[in-house]
Amino acid sequence: MPELTARAAPPLAHHFVDMRQQTEAARLGMWLFLASEVLLFTGLFTAYSIYRYLYAGVFEEASRKGVELWAGTTNTFVLITSSLTVALAIHFARLGRGKLAAALLGVSLLLGCAFLGIKAIEYANHFHEGQLPGKFYTFAEVQGPGASMFFTLYFIMTGLHGLHVIAGMTVLAVMAVRAWREEFGPEHYAPIEIAGLYWHLVDLIWIFLYPLLYLI
Amino acid sequence: MPNGEHQTALEPHHGAGRYVAVWVALCALTVGTLLASRLSLGPPWHLLVALAIAAAKAGLVALFFMHLWDQPGVNRLVFATSLVFVALLIGLVLLDSATRFPLANPPNERTLRFEPPSFETHVQPGEREQGEPGAIGRPPARE
Repeated sequence: MPELTARAAPPLAHHFVDMRQQTEAARLGMWLFLASEVLLFTGLFTAYSIYRYLYAGVFEEASRKGVELWAGTTNTFVLITSSLTVALAIHFARLGRGKLAAALLGVSLLLGCAFLGIKAIEYANHFHEGQLPGKFYTFAEVQGPGASMFFTLYFIMTGLHGLHVIAGMTVLAVMAVRAWREEFGPEHYAPIEIAGLYWHLVDLIWIFLYPLLYLI
Repeated sequence: MPNGEHQTALEPHHGAGRYVAVWVALCALTVGTLLASRLSLGPPWHLLVALAIAAAKAGLVALFFMHLWDQPGVNRLVFATSLVFVALLIGLVLLDSATRFPLANPPNERTLRFEPPSFETHVQPGEREQGEPGAIGRPPARE
């Protein structure tokens, strides 16, 4: 590893004793933020639980006839694989192989684009079929109370998740550039690890959205 | 291991093979949940199986991709606490919906099939002996 010896000393803020304490503080801060993200989505999952309890039959029918199973399944594999490449990128960044880490983050970004592309195809289909929230709902195959509510929740939950995908891709792009410049190493890797935590949370939320929206 | 010469290596650094193994397990569980959803299990079971598999996948991601397995300490506590609040919010709200008088919920499949209650169903237990059955909870009669 020739880069290892050439790298400058990792930045240590003066109010931390050592890199270990700084890294642990950064991790704790990120986990607190992730907890608030979990609770943000819990509000939506709670709304889903209530309306699914009230309209169980219609929700099942809408999930069977209204959403594309292939798209949801493909997107699940896409996100899981992107999580793997992010985890591997952190692994190699810690070993000082910044170029490889940046390449793996690039793969993650491509997978994120694929996820959003498939989602865009799905959204276009929903708009075409009139599977829309509230008074815009005109899908003839699934009627009855609660049918439009399924798609209201569908759009809010996948939409908010999609925003998180975009935010996560932005963070990963920044980290890819920094890894390419060989900024990370065995002691200084907290930024890329924390960016990875965010991306894994996005994956975590999709893991629950997939069965609830596509499989039930 | 290149970071062996550094004394500040924070925690054991596992090989890349573990991440690939977790990825294979996640893919297998995804196929499993897809197949289980095609089995058309009974009404409570299809949901329970799907959620159990999702929880297993989430556990794998949190423990290995997010390193909760390797990093002891307060991060686990923070994440577990958020899950407690998830259970509280969803659990108590569902209990509330499930234990309401049907007509107190917004119009839904069950309430739309609900027969209009006859006069007698409003009689509270023990009320008949008091002379005026059905008076409790009924608005006062207008003259």
